[in-house]
Amino acid sequence: MTTTTIDFRTAIREALDEELAADDRVVFFGEDVAVAGGVFAVTQGLYEKYGRERVFDTPISELALAGAAFGAAISGLRPVVEIMFGDFLTLAMDSLVNQSTKYWYLTGEQVSVPLVVRSVVGAGGRFGAIHSQMPASWFMGVPGLKIVSPATPNDAKGLLRSAIQDENPVLFFEHKRLYGVSGDVENEPVPIGVARVARAGADVTIVSAMNGVHQALEAAETLTGDGIEAEVIDLRTLRPLDIPTVLTSVAKTNNLVIVEEGPLTGGWAGEVLARVTEEGLGDLDDAWRIATPDSPVPYSPPLEDAHLPGADRIATEVVHRLR
Amino acid sequence: MPTTSATETSVVGETELYLELYRSMVLIRGFEELIQSLFLRGEVYGTTHLYCGQEAVAVGMASVLEERDRLAATYRGHGHALALGVDPQGILDEMLGRATGVNGGRAGSMNINAPANRLIGSFGIVGGTIGAATGVALALKRVGGVAVCQFGDGAINQGYFYECLNFCQVMQLPVVFLCENNGYGEYTPFADVTAGEIRARAEVMEVPAETVDGMSVVAVRAAARRAVEHARTGKGPYFLEAITYRYVGHSRSDPGAYRPPGELDAWKARDPIPRLRGELVEAGIESKALDTIDSEVTSLLADAERVGLAAPFPEPAATSEFKA
Amino acid sequence: MPKLSDSMSEAVIVAWLKRPGDKFARGEPLVEVETDKATVVYEAESDGVLAEILVAEGNAAALGAPIARLGGEGGDDAELVDPTPVTAVAPAVETEGPAASARLDPGRSPRPRATPVARRTAAQFDLSLQGLVGTGPGGRIRKLDVLRAEATNGAPAASAPKGPTTIVPLSTTGATIARRMVQSRSQIPSFDVSVEVDMTAVLELRIGVDELVEIVPSVNDFVVKAVALTLREFPSFNSSFVDGQVERHGRVNVGIAVATEDSLLVPAVIDADRKMLAVIAAETRSLVARAQDRALSPDELTTATFTVSNLGMFGVRSFNAVINPPQVAILAVGSARRSPIESDSGGVVFRDIATLTLTSDHRAVYGADAARFLGHLRSLLEHPLTLSL
Repeated sequence: MTTTTIDFRTAIREALDEELAADDRVVFFGEDVAVAGGVFAVTQGLYEKYGRERVFDTPISELALAGAAFGAAISGLRPVVEIMFGDFLTLAMDSLVNQSTKYWYLTGEQVSVPLVVRSVVGAGGRFGAIHSQMPASWFMGVPGLKIVSPATPNDAKGLLRSAIQDENPVLFFEHKRLYGVSGDVENEPVPIGVARVARAGADVTIVSAMNGVHQALEAAETLTGDGIEAEVIDLRTLRPLDIPTVLTSVAKTNNLVIVEEGPLTGGWAGEVLARVTEEGLGDLDDAWRIATPDSPVPYSPPLEDAHLPGADRIATEVVHRLR
Repeated sequence: MPTTSATETSVVGETELYLELYRSMVLIRGFEELIQSLFLRGEVYGTTHLYCGQEAVAVGMASVLEERDRLAATYRGHGHALALGVDPQGILDEMLGRATGVNGGRAGSMNINAPANRLIGSFGIVGGTIGAATGVALALKRVGGVAVCQFGDGAINQGYFYECLNFCQVMQLPVVFLCENNGYGEYTPFADVTAGEIRARAEVMEVPAETVDGMSVVAVRAAARRAVEHARTGKGPYFLEAITYRYVGHSRSDPGAYRPPGELDAWKARDPIPRLRGELVEAGIESKALDTIDSEVTSLLADAERVGLAAPFPEPAATSEFKA
Repeated sequence: MPKLSDSMSEAVIVAWLKRPGDKFARGEPLVEVETDKATVVYEAESDGVLAEILVAEGNAAALGAPIARLGGEGGDDAELVDPTPVTAVAPAVETEGPAASARLDPGRSPRPRATPVARRTAAQFDLSLQGLVGTGPGGRIRKLDVLRAEATNGAPAASAPKGPTTIVPLSTTGATIARRMVQSRSQIPSFDVSVEVDMTAVLELRIGVDELVEIVPSVNDFVVKAVALTLREFPSFNSSFVDGQVERHGRVNVGIAVATEDSLLVPAVIDADRKMLAVIAAETRSLVARAQDRALSPDELTTATFTVSNLGMFGVRSFNAVINPPQVAILAVGSARRSPIESDSGGVVFRDIATLTLTSDHRAVYGADAARFLGHLRSLLEHPLTLSL
């Protein structure tokens, strides 16, 4: 297929469009997603194209949405439901965690639940404490759930298509600061559960996801000036984690830093660190995490900026640790 | 106070069917008593919620469902599972934790599911059935099917109920909301924790609502027929409140001492099984035929108990987290 | 005792609602039981007769234990409950105490804190982590620290206070010498006596004869001859002290200390008192060469009756040597230095003065003996004609 250059939000819309077209069983619903085209203008045009049987607006009822997605998914449909902000996943959690992720197991691996929950996450937009969270860590401990976290338009499109085609429940995170980012899209399938080496280097491995990848790449440029060549790994999927790719990198660099936008305690960075320590201990010279403090996301710009793990902080910490 | 529906048919003209329904209720009652006995002997683990007294509701509802319909049950779901035709041995073995259980011992009483028999599953979270049925109805709409969610009087105060009732009405989904009002949400009388009337909640959303005598399988069946017909023809959800009573405590650890004296006896006087027996005899069926059904069920359950207790336990084995 | 609550392991019989001999129908209340959760009435599961009460009111019984005996409709006896005891409660898990062996011996030095890669790198370079200074977080040793240590191996790095350690094992000979030195110093009550000898005459004798003789005797050869003659006069110094006895030797074999690459050997000039200086000179030369080549015979190494050790060639002024047991004495020879002394006429003349130190075993010889020995030796050396007769 041909390569195009589009932005992240367009990539999401194209993925949805192509899947709705390819499979009659795919339905897409959520709050303000159809007529209004989404509060981040991501899904415009789909309602007009596919009609309200396939694309429709719902009441503000996250729990009902999640239940609807579950029931539909076990009855032959392939639902994609949007939970407007990741922070609202708390309201949908019962059906998602206690119904969707357990059905495959409880039916003795007879009936799976092919649903996708798309949700907008992340800080940097000055949206404040309850519209800026990164809920991935709330779900890392739920067996039966996949969590996808693209950083580029190419991966956003490829991974959303893979998520919709996946037979299992997938939580698909879209970082709100990436919607306007443009990039080349190869229009090739991108597999869930496989990380990507975004930049090669020999001195330190920086692992991140979503917006963190861009911060890490920026930091890597700075680090070159300090004589440190960083290898940046874009995880692309948070659950299941592609640890082998990280291990291969650490075997080369011996130094590992994981950059997570989210509270340090209980974050997925800890899971990466645990796995690398268990499986690659002999290759480690230094390993640490950079995350946000254990406090809510503040509103005022200087407060929020200081809260987040930006390129400057990453570069500074790497230089400090490696010298 | 319960108000019975306007039209109520009798068993006349459908005695063959009602003999089947009689058998179904006797099976459920006997099965639940067997579970009770096994639980006391420590053969059924954790806890379990028995359906004795409420048989008419499950049986009446199941009797009007087609192949393309589905039902979601609560943790008090054995009655519905049996009424839908799930093999009693499979349910029994599941509760005994055996490998031959309908879910291989993975689910247990509260999570029993049998998609092949139209039982979506049993849901331990109060109100979970309503969420599940909502989604199933979204899919069944395409094929003219109906999704039934069964729940208790306690569930109508849960978020699921309001969100999904509204959602189903707005989306005109084919869902039958079957509320089994047995007077108690766990240990608390429902009136103590519920503002206003139960069915009023549906009426306010302009969902047709009916209260029916849950101790009469004839009445339940008639109401169920109306409800399913309404939903199937694209008119949206229908709300049924069945007034019923459970003869045992909420769960096996509950001796039911919160019930006022005399209440249980009053409800036992309205036991749906002897009631149907009476109606069938009145319609010309021989008592002996009913006795035969009784002893067949007794013997079936005795065999099931023997086979179940001899069945092997499952070996712990790795499971695949995802479908490939 | 039936399971009337999820969590009970036992319960108390509150009241029997039937008496022994009473009949009961299925569903009739039989007994009131108090569980951990509530007081429950247990109803009969089938028709029967209460034959015998086994647990009285007010007493407790464990889950599954028989509490009554029943008679069935046909008169069969049956237990009230399945007599096989059912464990409702998981058996108590034994918790193990902390392993005492995990406690470190406080006397042991702690294992250096180092990263896995640092350890691997150190192993690759055969480097010890002990004493390395770590610059990682918390002072832990990281790869960089190991690489730096490897690069500056041997130089006094800021890292190790005594620098890197190199192990030099003792050779067999060295170990033997070490043992004998300890034995000598600890067992022999030695004393030292020094004398200054005017070697000018000896040195003058040696001038200008290179072309005239094959081998020019060294200063030490003169000393060896002089010592040998002195030993003849003072046989107490040509002895061994063995088992509390002095053994005087009939022959005078003067041993000369020869330093080889890695040890100290003392081959002997046998019958040195009877040999002409020229012979002594040739023999000492041969002995030294063969000592360097490790070609000495065992006889040659064990027959010395007295040892002469000379460090004069290194410019050493004086020193005290260690007696070679079982010998009773050893002579240490320093270098001849041009020194001013008062001449007979009262003026100052320069002579070549060497310090000779005799270390003796006080069990065999005494101070005066040593003084006289040295006096005679000096006289011979200051009148070297005596050494060529």
